[in-house]
Amino acid sequence: MRRLSVVTTAVVALGVMGGTRSALADNLLGADEGKLHLTAGFSDLEGAGGGGLVPMAFITGYGSNESWGANAHFTNIQLRDLHLYTYGVAAGALDRFELSYTHQQLEFTSTALDGLGVNQDVFGVKVKLLGDAIYGQDSWLPQVAVGAQYKHNDGIKHADAVGLPGLINPQQLGAQAEHSTDFYLALTKVLLGESLLVNAVVRETKANQFGLLGFGGDRHRGYATKPEATVAYLLTRKLAVGGEIRTGPHNLSVDDQSNAWTLFVGWAPTRNLSLVAAYLNIGSVLAPVTTVTRRQAGPYLSVQAGF
Amino acid sequence: MTLFNLRAALVYRMRPGGWVLRSLQAVVLTCAMTAAQASPTLYEQIGGEAKFKAIAQEFTNAILADDRINFTFADSDVKKFTQLIFEQLCNLTGGPCKYTGRDMHEAHAKLAINNAQFNAIAEDLYIAFDKVHVPYRLQNRVMVMLAPMQRDIVKPGFVAPGTTPPPR
Repeated sequence: MRRLSVVTTAVVALGVMGGTRSALADNLLGADEGKLHLTAGFSDLEGAGGGGLVPMAFITGYGSNESWGANAHFTNIQLRDLHLYTYGVAAGALDRFELSYTHQQLEFTSTALDGLGVNQDVFGVKVKLLGDAIYGQDSWLPQVAVGAQYKHNDGIKHADAVGLPGLINPQQLGAQAEHSTDFYLALTKVLLGESLLVNAVVRETKANQFGLLGFGGDRHRGYATKPEATVAYLLTRKLAVGGEIRTGPHNLSVDDQSNAWTLFVGWAPTRNLSLVAAYLNIGSVLAPVTTVTRRQAGPYLSVQAGF
Repeated sequence: MTLFNLRAALVYRMRPGGWVLRSLQAVVLTCAMTAAQASPTLYEQIGGEAKFKAIAQEFTNAILADDRINFTFADSDVKKFTQLIFEQLCNLTGGPCKYTGRDMHEAHAKLAINNAQFNAIAEDLYIAFDKVHVPYRLQNRVMVMLAPMQRDIVKPGFVAPGTTPPPR
């Protein structure tokens, strides 16, 4: 919890900094907050600039192509039998490069696994290659970015409390590794005339449940190519509603991983604060072990503060 | 009702003169008639001359109040600028106006406008639209035509952060 309070403090501090407006931000070595609302994206589950579940080709932060931006986020997700929270920081430079770090913490809150926990760290990098999602309205070319996410699973905690002493890492569930790198290509286009944002991602991944259950498995060892997508309708220039879908590999016999999806409302009241409220459904988790086959779904709330 | 019965019932209703086919015909006819009527221009949908005059005025006001960009208008003839904005928006949206100003590239050549300033101007136009209650989806249909002007207005090349381009 100490780490959590540090990040909460950082989020609040950035929010206060943002509150005192750009006079201060200007002095932060030329942070210009020069991008349009919403185009910094929110912080997705793995800390990349995007929606809730799926990254986008936008570079995080509100720095223009001659500047930079940074933010911190905290996300709280309460699913049927799982509690997941994430926090992290991200920075974008020259509207081209993005770096992010996010810590994810999962806890089972009921079923036979009540109390079991898993932690994971995700280090992300993203580079915008070409195009502009907004300016290129006379062209079909989307904004294109590539990204990589190095994920390190910190192991399974408190397994003895649920009668599984000795269970300390996801390899014991059949995973091949406790760390791996996802690679993705993101194509984002705002169809301004329709007030629509469309986003398509192709991800090369070995991750079981985002990596929280390790990487690769007894059913499939290597990388799988998995599509993801976002569609959002812009209600105002600061408010969007939409949905996301993210497909995942099914590597483990002990986990019937299925598609995850969200329905979300994203709001950027200022360039210093972004909020997402969503309904997240990730399907069953470890159902063959717990015999609990119900889908893990519930509210997703995320706050991001920065400039 | 079994699935077979359902299918049979549907086939019966879809025979020539059946109600399914008749309603389909009605829908197609209605669509065709709507398309035949001249659809109003974006200029008309937004509210015509009075509305666009108000938009141009609010836009000028927003720019002059915006410290991010107002210095580039220091020596501008505000009245003329407002008139040119009106003409350009009117012309772009299908209204009965001729734009008498210079082209975008020429007009901004000496200004060294960067992306942040271009975005600030876009934001000021959104603010102007809001002030005169233009629905957001119509605002965006105007923005579609303005967004690609970024290539003509924004000077390519890197301007060091913190430096301000010289006013005209």
